[in-house]
Amino acid sequence: MTDDPSEHPVVLLVEDDGLLLMEASDTLAEAGFTVLEAAHADKALTVLEGRTDVGVLMTDVDMPQGSMDGFALARLVSRRWPGIPVLVVSGMGFPGPNDMPDGARFISKPYQPSALVRTLRAVVGAA
Amino acid sequence: MTFSAGPFRASRKAILEAENAYLRKLLAERPPGPDGIYVTGERRRADEAGASRSTAGRTGAEAEVARSAEAEEVNAQLRASEEFNRRVLASTTDCITVLDVEGRLISMNEVAVPVFGGTSFAHVVGRPWIDVWQLPESRDAVLAALEQARAGRSCRFQAALETGAPAETLWWDIVLAPMNGDDGRPERILAVSRDITDLKQTEARQTVLMHEMAHRVKNTLAMVQAVATQTLRNAHSLEEAGDALGARLQALAHAHDVLMQGAWSSADLRGLVDTAVALHSDGEPGRFVIDGPDVTLGPRPGLTLALILHELGTNATKYGALSKPEGRVVIGWNVAMVEGEERLSFRWEEVGGPQVAPPTRVGFGTRLIERSLVHSFGGSAKLQFPEDGVVLTMQAPAANVVVVPAATA
Repeated sequence: MTDDPSEHPVVLLVEDDGLLLMEASDTLAEAGFTVLEAAHADKALTVLEGRTDVGVLMTDVDMPQGSMDGFALARLVSRRWPGIPVLVVSGMGFPGPNDMPDGARFISKPYQPSALVRTLRAVVGAA
Repeated sequence: MTFSAGPFRASRKAILEAENAYLRKLLAERPPGPDGIYVTGERRRADEAGASRSTAGRTGAEAEVARSAEAEEVNAQLRASEEFNRRVLASTTDCITVLDVEGRLISMNEVAVPVFGGTSFAHVVGRPWIDVWQLPESRDAVLAALEQARAGRSCRFQAALETGAPAETLWWDIVLAPMNGDDGRPERILAVSRDITDLKQTEARQTVLMHEMAHRVKNTLAMVQAVATQTLRNAHSLEEAGDALGARLQALAHAHDVLMQGAWSSADLRGLVDTAVALHSDGEPGRFVIDGPDVTLGPRPGLTLALILHELGTNATKYGALSKPEGRVVIGWNVAMVEGEERLSFRWEEVGGPQVAPPTRVGFGTRLIERSLVHSFGGSAKLQFPEDGVVLTMQAPAANVVVVPAATA
């Protein structure tokens, strides 16, 4: 462990399925990310309001339990926290023209764990 | 439906007069034949050529009587034919409309009146048919079809009609065909419109269903991928991983059968339990004691529970109650109000097995239970290892896991 936050960027993982969350969380932890977990958009916002070290947001789209879906969360986060890059992950097909905030990335499910890690590293590095 | 009545009313008389003249012209061009109502020009010429032979030798008076009788007969046949045609037009559920070449309404059958005419046919005769169509795409289709018909070609297209009732659009399958005069040029345009609203709605539902299906297949694949990666991550050997993965996929496949019965939108809890139990029972009766009311789970909680039951069953077979002939598993559930909230409680209790010790490392099943129950479903889970056997108790707000059963077809 080093104190340099760039060595262990904090990723906020928003995913309502326990199994998928578990797998994504393991993949990212193995790749050196510090993983925070939220089951839906509202919980993710609570996390973001409570800490300043979140380096990247990764969110699923279809999350019936929260008050908004992952696209709305992505747009809200990029407005309120413009310094936090956003990655949207979904099995629902590709996003529509107004779904994604500017600069956000998209990966469709299922994805290669290595591709997820690569993309997240690129996103964090570019921020 | 609004259109200016003034100039329209003024031209209506002219249109009706022109139409009457047209009908008279048609009648004049098509005199009734001796054994039919209408005959073609070819046939008429053939009859005329033969007529001189058949009437030769008759007296003038006989011929006169014969002609009168023929005329009487033809009239009767004309009336019968007219009545027959009237009944055809009145019986069909298709809207049959005749337009002039300008596309104005000239004639229509009864069912077409409320659809294209409003209150009465007299009210709309002469009105441009295009005025009925308000939606831009439908207008384009109708105008293009009218153009085709004027050019002598028939065509078939679909158009939507807003009825004025909120959110009600009627869909029509329309065939527009030119009615040609003797010179082969279109004199009228026949429009036959069939209501295909039901078909369109079915099509729309089908499309939604296909998208939903695609979504679910992707989700299932993502789940399979997560199960595979997790299995590989935790396995001691490739062989062990292969066996465990195969068994987990089989458990998921069986759970999908239960989901299928709920039209992929729900899963019967007892069905899930019975399925999981069947995979882990060794054929001995009484290995499982199952008791619980009818409860229907959402698809995701259903699949998760199926995986959890599979992990529990596998462990019980390897190390727990099911590893001994006298061991049993007691499964029960209920939905009850707890602290002002309706909750689903589920219990798996092993009895009569060997003494169990808590596992030294947290396995896939335990993590899945913890993550899913707490994280996904806002509930709680408690896995205990008393001497008699493993006891798992799970609780989740009913609102997060229970659904209304899908209507059985």
